[in-house]
Amino acid sequence: MPRIVTLAKCVALTVSLFASTAHAEENVVWWDFLSGGDGVRMKQMISDFNAAHQGKIKIDATTLEWGTPFYAKVQTSAAVGEAPDVMTYHASRIPLAVKQGILQEITADDWKAMGISKDDYASATWDAVTSDGKQYAVPLDTHPIVLYYNKDILKKAGLLTDDGKPKGLDSGENFTATLKALKEAGVKFPLGSVTADGNFMFRTIYSLMGQQDGELMTDGKFLTGDNGKKLENALAILQGWTKDGLQSSYTDYPATVALFTSGEAAMMINGVWEVPTMTDLHKNGKLFEWGAVELPVIFNHPSTYADSHTFAIPANKDKDMSADKRAAVLEVMSWMDKNSLFWATAGHIPAYGPVTASAEYKAMQPNSTYSTLTENMIFDPKSPLAGIAGPIFDVMSSSFVPTLNGEMEPAEAVEEIKAGLNDM
Amino acid sequence: MLRNKRSEALMALALIAPFIAIYGLVFVYPTIKLFMISFTDAPLIGDGTYVGFDNYTRLASDRRFDTALWNTAYFVLLSVVPGTLVAFSIALGVNRLAGRLQSFVLALFFLPYILPVSVVYLIWDWTLNFQFGIAMYVFDMLGIGRVPIFKATAWFIPAVAFITIWWTAGFSILLFLAGLRAIPGEIYEAASLDNAGRWATFARITWPLMWPITALVLTIQLILQLKIFDQVYLFSTGGRPNDNVVLVYYVFQRAFQSDQGGRAAAVAVVLFLIVIVVSVLNFQLTRLSRGNNR
Repeated sequence: MPRIVTLAKCVALTVSLFASTAHAEENVVWWDFLSGGDGVRMKQMISDFNAAHQGKIKIDATTLEWGTPFYAKVQTSAAVGEAPDVMTYHASRIPLAVKQGILQEITADDWKAMGISKDDYASATWDAVTSDGKQYAVPLDTHPIVLYYNKDILKKAGLLTDDGKPKGLDSGENFTATLKALKEAGVKFPLGSVTADGNFMFRTIYSLMGQQDGELMTDGKFLTGDNGKKLENALAILQGWTKDGLQSSYTDYPATVALFTSGEAAMMINGVWEVPTMTDLHKNGKLFEWGAVELPVIFNHPSTYADSHTFAIPANKDKDMSADKRAAVLEVMSWMDKNSLFWATAGHIPAYGPVTASAEYKAMQPNSTYSTLTENMIFDPKSPLAGIAGPIFDVMSSSFVPTLNGEMEPAEAVEEIKAGLNDM
Repeated sequence: MLRNKRSEALMALALIAPFIAIYGLVFVYPTIKLFMISFTDAPLIGDGTYVGFDNYTRLASDRRFDTALWNTAYFVLLSVVPGTLVAFSIALGVNRLAGRLQSFVLALFFLPYILPVSVVYLIWDWTLNFQFGIAMYVFDMLGIGRVPIFKATAWFIPAVAFITIWWTAGFSILLFLAGLRAIPGEIYEAASLDNAGRWATFARITWPLMWPITALVLTIQLILQLKIFDQVYLFSTGGRPNDNVVLVYYVFQRAFQSDQGGRAAAVAVVLFLIVIVVSVLNFQLTRLSRGNNR
């Protein structure tokens, strides 16, 4: 009998302990897909958050595999009520997520509770998290592609302007002329391009389509009207660079970065997330003087493809979120946005306007140089088929690779892509 | 002592019940469910409405399914028989060695088999990468133009088949070696007394006696290679996935990328039937040809 009493006491004690900790500190389960350079920075931000909310909110973070594995896991776990309390999400994947019903709406009350409003974001960014007039995520950043360049090589070839930017950023002809001049100056690859990875090249090609006001999807139909022609134009100019030996052929992602950092390629079109790579190498004295600017205007006007890392609340099936928990999650998302200046060191452009407007951000280089492109951003078409690691990527990628490397004519590629897209 | 048949049967049932339960739960039930889903328009998770044979009939005009089917067939052609022959000849060679040297050489050939597929991918990517692959520098030295092996459709499947043979031959070699060791030495002794040459010994003794093992290896390889996914997925990331797609990859695309569980299930059912038909056919053929050898 005494043993049973002791046991009961123990149980009671444990239960009350659990209850009291649960009451005092809200545990927020967090999933992200951020590994590598930006993952390190996010971990820092999470520990800063936990330190600032000691005893109130604690983030319990897990990093999962980027891309399809992450999104498949989110979908399956939401279906059995085991999804986290908050997670990172690509804005481009929101249409599919809404169709699958795995995201909770961020209501007007939520925005009010966070102290954030529509006006704090660029309109394209706000639009990217909106589906049928409702918001499904809180944008953390936008991560466009930019043009990296080797100042040392360009200076030697006399191709730098007075303010230290490459010459010929204003038109297709002038930019090609710059590339040719670099070739004549003995540079092996004037432009390092991820020509072996059609998934990546989607960003560049979509930007070039945007520069001609081209649309991939109009009212649910693919490449209608002269949009096919605009895609062909974009492919043709890129193919021309390959044929003239102005850009590296069959180069995959890591190889492109290596070509640039080793000085074999004078310029490179890549995501802003490579900024920390350059900053770190430069700090250790292993890199030349470098810069990053908005993509050159090849066609009519500036336009750059961007995606956005956002925070979203999964819709756990048959499981309601307590008001306390929801408040804690909102606090997490709002704090991260408002403290995203540190996130900018990962290269991404913070989505929260007051951060990019701050003097500290304006002093950051090259971030503040390229952040002007925020006005010219275009996002993926709003379709469940779009988004990173989605089916549109695969269709286009399969035709981009042969075209960019001169195996397939641009016109033929457009036909292939149209057929492929309609097959989906 | 009298045996109680009834209680024995009960006992037997109790003993196999755990297996039956698990087998039913993780194999039989999902398989039945797969067939059922393939007749609906279900997403990856959740139920759909009944659509009859729609998911199957649309496969006939589905270009990507076509590519997947042909790529799979091509891959099987390039990997199963060549892979078995390569393993057999290596086993014959290893069998002639003795002692430590034999273990050492065997270990060398077996080593790739223990590698996870991701490591295999990295090794071969470092070797054959267009910009930085070691093989490309050899090509440069020999004055051959560089070949973008994993980005050109003509090279992709043959290259993946080659790598698969390199990767999985170790296991087949072990099976063959076990078979070779099981052949009694007296038979060879008798043959050499009869003045049989090397070729005659091989053709009349080794090959027929090894046939059951060869048939086994062929069947294992066939089933395994029909289900190819990992290598193709890894080597085509970012490249030309829709040109390199194989059947399991197509199932993955439909289910996990396009969120079309029903259509994915239909492809999976087709693959399931192909595997059954081909392996039964293979079994019957190998049995028949063994009869001829007798």
